Amino acid sequence: MPRQQWVAASLFLVVMLGIVMLTAELRESLRRARRLNEELVESERQAVERQAFLSGVLASSTDCIKGLDLDGKLTFMSEGGQHVMEISDFNEVVGCPWPDFWQDAGNAEAKAAIEAARRGEARSFIGKADTYRGTPKWWHVAVSPITGPDGRPDRILSVSRDITNLRASEEERDRFVRLAENSTDFIGMAGTDGSVFYVNDAARRLVGLEGADITRLTIADFFPPDQVETVMRKVLPAVDRDGHWVGELDFRHFRTGELIPVLYSVFPVTDATGTLIGYGTVTRDFRERRRTEDDMRLMNGELAHRLKNVLAVVQSVAAQTLRGIPEAETASQSLSARLVALGAATDVLTGRSWRSADLCELATRALSPHGRIGERILLCGPAVTLKPELTVAFALALHELATNAAKYGALSNETGHVTLAWSINGDGDDAKLAVCWREEGGPPVTPPQRKGFGSVLIERSLRSYFSGKAATDYRPEGLVFELEARLGDAAIVTGK
Amino acid sequence: MGQSTPIGSKTILIVEDEALVRFDLVDFFTHAEWRVFDAENADEAIAILDAHKDIRVVLTDVQMPGSMDGVKLAHYVRERFPPTVLFVVSGNAPIPAHELPARATFLPKPFDPHRLLRQIESIAQA
Repeated sequence: MPRQQWVAASLFLVVMLGIVMLTAELRESLRRARRLNEELVESERQAVERQAFLSGVLASSTDCIKGLDLDGKLTFMSEGGQHVMEISDFNEVVGCPWPDFWQDAGNAEAKAAIEAARRGEARSFIGKADTYRGTPKWWHVAVSPITGPDGRPDRILSVSRDITNLRASEEERDRFVRLAENSTDFIGMAGTDGSVFYVNDAARRLVGLEGADITRLTIADFFPPDQVETVMRKVLPAVDRDGHWVGELDFRHFRTGELIPVLYSVFPVTDATGTLIGYGTVTRDFRERRRTEDDMRLMNGELAHRLKNVLAVVQSVAAQTLRGIPEAETASQSLSARLVALGAATDVLTGRSWRSADLCELATRALSPHGRIGERILLCGPAVTLKPELTVAFALALHELATNAAKYGALSNETGHVTLAWSINGDGDDAKLAVCWREEGGPPVTPPQRKGFGSVLIERSLRSYFSGKAATDYRPEGLVFELEARLGDAAIVTGK
Repeated sequence: MGQSTPIGSKTILIVEDEALVRFDLVDFFTHAEWRVFDAENADEAIAILDAHKDIRVVLTDVQMPGSMDGVKLAHYVRERFPPTVLFVVSGNAPIPAHELPARATFLPKPFDPHRLLRQIESIAQA
């Protein structure tokens, strides 16, 4: 083979090899290109998906998501945002300065937030802004910078959330808190174990807890030792059982130990599900009231005292006037005894501040000077509260009856006895009060020759005062006196 | 200070600042044949008691001007003259027994002097 042929063959071989390698390389390139293309398509698909997701998020969020330029002008607003802001066409507001939407303090906050975002800082605030259609709303706003490719803020993101409803319920709650805080009554709350978790300022002032830590106190700490038992055994169980308890108790001043009369009112405190979480109280300072009552009682006592002194003077003057006149001796004694009965009736009235008199108490006072109650004189009847205007007449009548009994009747010997019985018959407006004085075991009775003032006092005055029937029956075995009146005319009727 | 004719051992001291009431009681007991001393206040009463050891009954009002009220006077009398029969009178609320000396009787004002006399005589007899 000639040399040239060798050269040509070698060249051919080299060229062929080159072509083969080139082809392989080309094929590989093509494959790479295809793969790259596929990747590109895939990433594009992913990008579209992501875009769709983000758009979906933006559109479905009920927050108002906005994009602003660095001057704070609106460049974008999410669909959901346009909805809550009541904007039908974003073009109407695009480019508007965003802080202008805010009123009052919110406006300054918005400007400051833009300023901060420009510096790369995130801010949030709560402010008031009307929607595009003028509906006033409260918003919670988060403003943050969007970083550009150079790492510096180049746009601003603002996300506002409508908190109007939350705000309204907070305001309502705040009103109740202020109501409790500013009340001049003692208001407090404690857990079911009695540990106190809230007292208002009035409470702190009342019991001397200004500035004190109340978290270690229990309900019992507010009461003097002798009333703690009442609170724990009676009051709180009553609240659990009946849902409330009201009554007069004393608080104890934490610094001075002074007792503070209060009207203590307790009720259960429940959580949103209705479960008992403790006790609440609105308690009224009763010191003034108690003082007034004490003063009244004192005045009443003083009045009664003076009245009885006057009666004593009248008694003395009458006795001295009639003394030495033999024919007036008996009259003088009767008068003296009647004035004593008057004084006793006064005592019963004073005990009730002249508002009423308990029939049994009145009878006991009027009759006990004439014989032992329960032995010679028996009293029996339900609780009846006589009207004050009848009290004196009734006491005087009982005095006369007893005096007669002591002179001529069942109390004139050692064995007789008297029963004073009263009863209520019928219901409502027709209810009648019947009172019966019955003597037994005395000497045989004969009707008197003439009726003295005693009998007049008994029959006529009672008939008149009680607007009822009064009759004396001189039965041989013992005198019987009966009085019947409408209960409503004679007594103070309360409830059943 | 009034003093009546002494009759036996029936001697009473009446301590009452209300003159009209005092006069009447003096008359009443004198009429009942008692020897009666009377005083307007506790200090006078103590002076009389010191001078007349034969006083067996002391009747005193509670509310009186002076250094001592009737309750204090009653305690004083019970200590100084233990056998004395004591009556304490007041137009005010009844004085509880534990505030009175032993064997003292409270009488609400006005009281019936006839009844009081019967009470004294029954005590004297006992």
